Amino acid sequence: MSDDVVLQATDVVKTFSSRGKKLGTRVVSRAVNGVSLEVRRGETLGIVGESGCGKSTLARCLVQLSPVTSGTVAFEGTTLTGLSRRRLRPFRRQFQLVFQDPYASLNPRRTVGDIVAEPMRINHLGSTSAIDARVRELFSTVGLDAAAVNRYPHEFSGGQRQRIGIARSLSLNPTLVIADEPVSALDVSIQAQVLNLMADLQQEFNLTYVFIAHDLGVVRHVSDRVGVMYLGEFVEFGDVGSIYETPLHPYTEALLSVVPELNDTDAPRRERIIITGDVPDPADRPSGCPFHPRCPVATDLCRVEKPALLTIVPGRQVACHYPRNLDAVKATSTTS
Amino acid sequence: MPEAPLLQVRDLTVSFATRQGALRAVDGLSFDVGQKEIVGIVGESGSGKSVAIYSMLGLVREKNATITGSVLFEGREILGLSDKELQPIRGGSIGMIFQDPMTALTPVYTVGWQLVEQIRQHLHLPKAAARQRAIELLGQVGIPDPKSRVDRYPHEFSGGMRQRVVIAMALSCNPRLLIADEPTTALDVTTQAQILDLMLKLQDTYDSSIVIITHDMGVIAEMAHRVVVMYAGRPVEIARELDLVRHPRHPYTWGLLDAVPRLDAKHDRLRTIRGNAVSPLNLPPGCAFAPRCDYVMDQCAQRPPLQGDADHVDACWLSDAQRVTIRQRVEQPS
Ligand SMILES: Nc1ncnc2c1ncn2[C@@H]1O[C@H](COP(=O)(O)OP(=O)(O)OP(=O)(O)O)[C@@H](O)[C@H]1O
Ligand SMILES: Nc1ncnc2c1ncn2[C@@H]1O[C@H](COP(=O)(O)OP(=O)(O)OP(=O)(O)O)[C@@H](O)[C@H]1O
Ligand SMILES: [Mg+2]
Ligand SMILES: [Mg+2]
Repeated sequence: MSDDVVLQATDVVKTFSSRGKKLGTRVVSRAVNGVSLEVRRGETLGIVGESGCGKSTLARCLVQLSPVTSGTVAFEGTTLTGLSRRRLRPFRRQFQLVFQDPYASLNPRRTVGDIVAEPMRINHLGSTSAIDARVRELFSTVGLDAAAVNRYPHEFSGGQRQRIGIARSLSLNPTLVIADEPVSALDVSIQAQVLNLMADLQQEFNLTYVFIAHDLGVVRHVSDRVGVMYLGEFVEFGDVGSIYETPLHPYTEALLSVVPELNDTDAPRRERIIITGDVPDPADRPSGCPFHPRCPVATDLCRVEKPALLTIVPGRQVACHYPRNLDAVKATSTTS
Repeated sequence: MPEAPLLQVRDLTVSFATRQGALRAVDGLSFDVGQKEIVGIVGESGSGKSVAIYSMLGLVREKNATITGSVLFEGREILGLSDKELQPIRGGSIGMIFQDPMTALTPVYTVGWQLVEQIRQHLHLPKAAARQRAIELLGQVGIPDPKSRVDRYPHEFSGGMRQRVVIAMALSCNPRLLIADEPTTALDVTTQAQILDLMLKLQDTYDSSIVIITHDMGVIAEMAHRVVVMYAGRPVEIARELDLVRHPRHPYTWGLLDAVPRLDAKHDRLRTIRGNAVSPLNLPPGCAFAPRCDYVMDQCAQRPPLQGDADHVDACWLSDAQRVTIRQRVEQPS
């Protein structure tokens, strides 16, 4: 059902141009290189990928914080890309970005109450006293003492600051929250508190999440669907359970195999596939499949021909000439 | 007779005089590192992991710091040695890897120059031989084309490659002990896997011991033979890795392990440790974990000693029977 789609991105490209090594030259890097995705109402779409693969850049394009180079982004059926600032404003309230760094993302000179109230003030949502009341309500929603509104960010711990960031992002009753590494800077015990809070809020307010992280355990825990990004593109999409059990893309397979795990059961551990080399530079994209220089199963075909993102079975897409676990994926799809 | 441990830390305590009073960053830490053993130190941010390690190596230089206890390395007391006495040890028989590779590298010199300096200082090799060894080491840590890379500057390397260079540097003088403080925290899982793999391979080749500091239980499980769990500057549990993850005894260790989101199963809710980490400025007189512990009792107003059998000690007043009941309840929620 198409009306279930909250956010739709089509062929989104974002390039950055910077000064080249030779005087007077420019290099263009395609940080996001033709991304199409849809986010469905009430779901959590997890996005994983190595540092520099374009996750944050994509997030900023999705919420219109940075203009796309080409392609479109539509929110509940309305195309946002190309809208004037004024026409965009009513939509802005509906999608919010939660940032990674709870230390850097809060203004140190404002009280935390002001920080949470600010979006409401900018949007003239109610009287001063109504906004105050709402701030207190938001504080208790995210599990903070409402008496703390007059304190400053440095008086709070990392997990508390991330709660403040979340309270602020909820202040305008958004439909969609895009969280860019919201728990990466937190210790595991505090991380668990914030993840539980986000899950509770999703239930309570029927929120839709796009959740960006590089911790695959966290993504597994929170997501309904997962997209795997490599060098500005999605190489695989799928339902969380199936993607983790039967990854199709060799990159996904390798990523999952090297997550350090607690060996607290007798279940055999996945065979580790250590991929060599570094994430390539988006200014210097390889020919053919973007992953082929690091891929353990690449052939000549992969060096020349770029594989398209194809639907293998309903709910599973992959961009690879030689998908892994193909038989298992097809078998589970026909039996279910 | 078992071999004497390579490193013996006894009752290490580090406190800083601050305007708000004495801050005990490390409070009575004791552990051994055997020959060829990999010991992991795990704990939340601020639990004193880095301060403990740096104080052992004479790298806590703040005037307001007071360091007491004993640190025997190869049977010799190294706590309190002068910089001059420590110099052959640091970067020589003890190699160090930091979270941020740029702590160990200088941006203005080529990596080759930095490696050669280090090697010449400790091994007294002539320049050409030191350069040869530098190229060899870069190759060993998996830097492609080491002959030409040796003349490059750190900023021309990616984060993962810089960390490899630091490892090459730490290994340059055949250390007996490698101390790694969050060596992979800033890296992707793919690069982390490369680096951890490399450390294990080199440890095997050089027969060295490793102390690895991390807050990632997964990394501990992959690497460590034995684990020291720290809370608020104190060791709360020390055990062999497998015993620790399968039969954890301390409520804080339970919390740490239970809070990890897992690849293998989707739980609806994560179990959490309530509250926030305790400030080392106001440590409670008894058990430091008591304010966040779900099983706190009257006795916890007294500080519990580290006790147990030789291979598995922890600091908690709960009886064995109580622990069994609690864990059964948690593992099979009704
Ligand atoms: N403002 C900018 N100007 C030039 N290049 C940029 C800019 N922002 C990002 N890039 C480049 O775009 C690519 C993608 O960066 P991005 O921050 O989106 O990655 P990411 O996946 O979020 O990484 P991380 O996991 O480290 O946050 C990188 O190569 C980065 O250097
Ligand atoms: N020079 C100093 N003066 C005062 N306090 C200090 C000093 N250095 C460290 N501390 C304090 O000592 C405590 C332990 O810090 P330490 O850096 O060892 O923690 P850690 O376990 O390594 O944490 P992380 O995981 O964040 O690296 C912290 O509360 C810190 O603020
Ligand atoms: Mg990012
Ligand atoms: Mg530290």
